[in-house]
Amino acid sequence: MTQIVSFVLNGAPVQVPADPHQRLIDLLRGPLHQTGTKEGCGQGECGACTVIIDGRPVNACLYPAPEADGTTITTIEGLGGDNTELSTIQRAFVECGGIQCGYCTPGMILSTKALLDRRPDPTEAEIRQGLAGNLCRCTGYVQIIESVKWAAERLRDKS
Amino acid sequence: MAYRHIGQETPRPDSADKAAGQAVYIHDFERPQMLHGKIKFAEQAHARIVDIDTSKAERLPGVKAVITAQNTPEVRIGFMRDNFALKRDKVRQFRDEVAAVAAIDPDIAAEAVELIEVTYEPLPGVFTPKEALAEEAPLIHETDPRGQPRENNRLDLRYHHESGDPHLGRQAAKYSVEGTFSTPLIQQSCMGTAGCVAEFDRNHHLTIWAKTQIPFLAQRDFIQMLGAIGLKERNCRVIVPALGGAFGTGLDTHAYEYISILLAWRTGRPVKVLYDREQEFSYLSPRQSSEVKIAQGCDENGKLTFRWVDVLMDNGAYTSWGATYPTVMMLPATSLYRVPNVYFDAKLVYTNNTYCQAMRGYGNPELNWALESNLDELAEVAGIDPLEMRRINCNRAGEITPMGLQVTTCGLRDCLESVSEKIEWTAKRRQGKRRGVGLASLFHVGGGGRIYRSDGSGLILKLDDFGNVNVYYGGVEMGQGLHSALSLGVAEALGVKPDKVFVNPTDTGTCPWDVGTHASRGAFMACNAAIKAAADLRRQIFTHAKSLFPKIVAKNLKRYQKKHPHYTAPDVDVAALVDRSTFEMRDGVVRLADAPDEPWLSVSLDTLLRGIHFRSQGEMLLSHVFYDPPNELPDFEKGRGNMSATYAYGVQGAEVEVDVETGEVTILRLVASHDVGRVLNPQTLKGQMYGALAQGVGYALYEEVCTAEGRILNPNFADYKIPTIAEMDFPIELDFIETDDDRGPFGAKGVGEPGLVPTAPAIANAVYNAVGVRIRDLPITPQKVLAALKRKG
Amino acid sequence: MTPEAYYKPRTLEEAFALKADHPEAFFIAGGTDLMVLMRAGICRPSALISLRHIEPLHQLTVGATTHIGAMTRVAELLEHPEIEERYPLLTAAARRLGSPQVRSVATVGGNLANASPCADTAVALLALGARIRLASPDGEREIPLDQFFVGPKTTCLFSQELVTEIILDEDARGTHGVFIKKGRVKMDIAQASLALWARVKDGQCEQIRLAAGSVGPVPLRLPEVERVLLNHPLDDDRISQASTAAEQTVQPITDIRATADYRRQLIGVFVRRALRQICTESR
Repeated sequence: MTQIVSFVLNGAPVQVPADPHQRLIDLLRGPLHQTGTKEGCGQGECGACTVIIDGRPVNACLYPAPEADGTTITTIEGLGGDNTELSTIQRAFVECGGIQCGYCTPGMILSTKALLDRRPDPTEAEIRQGLAGNLCRCTGYVQIIESVKWAAERLRDKS
Repeated sequence: MAYRHIGQETPRPDSADKAAGQAVYIHDFERPQMLHGKIKFAEQAHARIVDIDTSKAERLPGVKAVITAQNTPEVRIGFMRDNFALKRDKVRQFRDEVAAVAAIDPDIAAEAVELIEVTYEPLPGVFTPKEALAEEAPLIHETDPRGQPRENNRLDLRYHHESGDPHLGRQAAKYSVEGTFSTPLIQQSCMGTAGCVAEFDRNHHLTIWAKTQIPFLAQRDFIQMLGAIGLKERNCRVIVPALGGAFGTGLDTHAYEYISILLAWRTGRPVKVLYDREQEFSYLSPRQSSEVKIAQGCDENGKLTFRWVDVLMDNGAYTSWGATYPTVMMLPATSLYRVPNVYFDAKLVYTNNTYCQAMRGYGNPELNWALESNLDELAEVAGIDPLEMRRINCNRAGEITPMGLQVTTCGLRDCLESVSEKIEWTAKRRQGKRRGVGLASLFHVGGGGRIYRSDGSGLILKLDDFGNVNVYYGGVEMGQGLHSALSLGVAEALGVKPDKVFVNPTDTGTCPWDVGTHASRGAFMACNAAIKAAADLRRQIFTHAKSLFPKIVAKNLKRYQKKHPHYTAPDVDVAALVDRSTFEMRDGVVRLADAPDEPWLSVSLDTLLRGIHFRSQGEMLLSHVFYDPPNELPDFEKGRGNMSATYAYGVQGAEVEVDVETGEVTILRLVASHDVGRVLNPQTLKGQMYGALAQGVGYALYEEVCTAEGRILNPNFADYKIPTIAEMDFPIELDFIETDDDRGPFGAKGVGEPGLVPTAPAIANAVYNAVGVRIRDLPITPQKVLAALKRKG
Repeated sequence: MTPEAYYKPRTLEEAFALKADHPEAFFIAGGTDLMVLMRAGICRPSALISLRHIEPLHQLTVGATTHIGAMTRVAELLEHPEIEERYPLLTAAARRLGSPQVRSVATVGGNLANASPCADTAVALLALGARIRLASPDGEREIPLDQFFVGPKTTCLFSQELVTEIILDEDARGTHGVFIKKGRVKMDIAQASLALWARVKDGQCEQIRLAAGSVGPVPLRLPEVERVLLNHPLDDDRISQASTAAEQTVQPITDIRATADYRRQLIGVFVRRALRQICTESR
């Protein structure tokens, strides 16, 4: 029994059919063509599919598609400004070398955003807790920590 | 020598798209009319195939093809040709491919696979090398690829080295220690799983978008396959999308790729095969496990007198590059530290376990684990401090090792001193409180690695009207930073800004031949090729400048004077200057070395290029080079040959704390000092090192693919643990020793793999220093440490 | 079989009616386990009945008696200042449950109803002496949490019954709570976990509850250990006895994450460490 779910995706209202067995990631990568959200494990273990739903980081591979109805969702495609500007957090990952193969990057960046939205001035321990659900096999995380700190500093300067 | 771009902390050119989620991985990639392929795996370790019933699957709506070995031509794969894309008579490992389906969507394909019924007659399996070598052991392969009967499960691959007199060396040793060390199967754990899309055009040429590190060798494999299925003389074009990590998984071609080609050929439509995480764990080849028996001995002064190494490897059911790890194991076995008498031998045995492939380090972490652990044991027996032991036997520049490796530059001694200082060796060795420090060195190829007859890399630089430099290179960016190294290397060597350099996607249709991105050779090869090509281009640019430069600067001067009416130009005879001076180019601006520094007296590269293009009998500037480094293909049966143009060294130190009640090992800090020749881009180099260290930590402490009778028991990240950001919660100090190697581009050596090679023995040696227990089988789990502590009492 | 429908009832009555109509349907809370099991083909419900939209299940009131609605998300529990203040043991356990992404959607009720022997919050709630309220079309009942778990992945819930809330009767301020968990890595299913709650007076435990995870078919209370400790001075000898009793009481199995023997040893160590910690705290 397919139902139409309506939600706000990256600031714009969308309507899309969802099957009972589908996951949010299936909608994003399928009919919505937002392939920036990556599937790394399909079991909520790697965080590559992290999106922000109503202010909280969520694994899109564990989120029932029908439950997207009425929510506000941010994916990596919603982070930059208009045109091709990168957001501060995205720029931080570029500047600090927090990106190698890039497959974990969208999820890593969304976890960072979820963290910094709640804690603009996180301690290193809080950064580690906030990103503990995002696996990266390339970087060893050091430059990811540096990226988060760089972003936090600039976002604080802005506000 | 001072460089303008080399050595500067520079963000990578590919990272902005990745940050935006815009990079296109195979997962994100679609073709019109594309079908989805899924594979039926055996899930039997050893069995005869009695019957495959595909009728139900064929009837499922949406299914476009169901293939088995019965209804497709035989496709042999692997460098030993002992494997098949689809298995016909029997299956030899749990993950054997027995059938495949193409359907209009992945769910239907998966459902169809479930409907395929295979009847097996189970055969007894062998799951350890020991079982496989037993007299009555069932044969995994009854015949060799030529159809000759096989007598046992030994592989017909020989890796052997003897130098000096190992027996005499053993007798001469005042002290010697022997031990057996093992390492488990490790999953490469690329965040982006494996997959490909295969498509035929109407002329029956194949294009495959593949997650590969060897586009050109893959092309050869696939063209060979096309011949086998009746498509002789057809081309295969391999295109490499963004790769979600590779770490060695892309060094061979895989059954799933051949299957996608068979399905595409059968259906006439593009077919994507994509593994999910569980399939990646269960059906893709991991890092080879190993068992290394090692003995080393020294005289009363700690000088090594001999090293004896016997390697036994479980090859699994088929042969891929895992079987060639001994070619790399031989390097440290013969050449890390100065050892006059060396024996090295490796045996490989077929079993009904999963077959294995390459992973970062390629045999070196396995051998190094044994060598560096055993060396600490020897030091203890000899009553010598382990650091001093390594100093005593340290390699030096200029030496030729027993394998015939020519050490051009050697930073090992500096690395030892660096780690000693940073880890506070002397103080921390005796700190007690269940804390300890340990260190381990490494030796690896750093200047390519000739394992084929060619170790070459082609490169094309093409200039357009705007001074953009387009780079075509056949190596693969898989996250390691190859494109960053290339853009900096080209910019430096050519004299343009890095943001004018564009590295094009890797495609066998556009890029020149390359042997593959392995053996830490990416940046070394690419930049050496770039230097060669840039020199050629500069020569071409300056040749044209001779005729064009005077006219252009004359125009420049007019324009300048118009803008600055009070300007008086110095009296310069440009034509004469062109004759007597030389051109130089910096940041894309061409000038004369001896010309006065006048604002109009230079020409930007784009203006010059337009001048070269837009005229009668114009030309376009392009340079193509083929760089093949000065190294040799070793004779692996004799264990001789200078495999690499230069060699990388490094030392890592670890400080750990052991919880003696739970056995838990906590890393307090890591220090890694590496001889990198020259730092090309500190940002990407640090990234490589930190990343490798994290893989080394996982390898040391918890990573292990567990199996039971050939079945993989932990095929997911819930049960196969890799380090998270929470695990890597300790300081890491890096130190790069610049030995400025003549053979390296700008002095640099390859460094992709070394970072994870000595991490595990450094940690194990620190554990021993902390609590006096020695773990010889990786990973160093708390359970093993606790059990060892209890045994020790 | 894939679920044919996804229902979002607004009331319990509606949910029960749907379940009556679709006996093979599953209730779904946060879904962090069920979504994985469905995809792996291990669970094949005919339909899904979401509990997310039933308002009363989300209520969280802290007071003399604390009521935690079953649909309270673990992240919400962690963010609640009074929960942290009164039941630090519970927040310590909740913090170790999964990743931030999982805690964003996983629910307290789901973690219990899932009845995994390793459930982190279950272990803490057992030590806190929690009761749970269950509802079915036939009415409601309340049972102590330690009667809820029956076997691996099974509870005493009837087929149409649901956990509606978790009830904590006492304010745990002024008492001691310790949660210890070890996995292969920091974010992992427990190889073993232990929760200890105690009211200590004059160096003796007047009240004590211990519970352990991943060392038996269900999250276990350890009454034998509690008996060793109750109303005895907490000296080294007593601690050692308790530790031994714990090792003897638990019934771990060997699996990919740890051997039975190692789990047993861990529980002994955890009991010692937890008791030493409360000794230090109460001094």
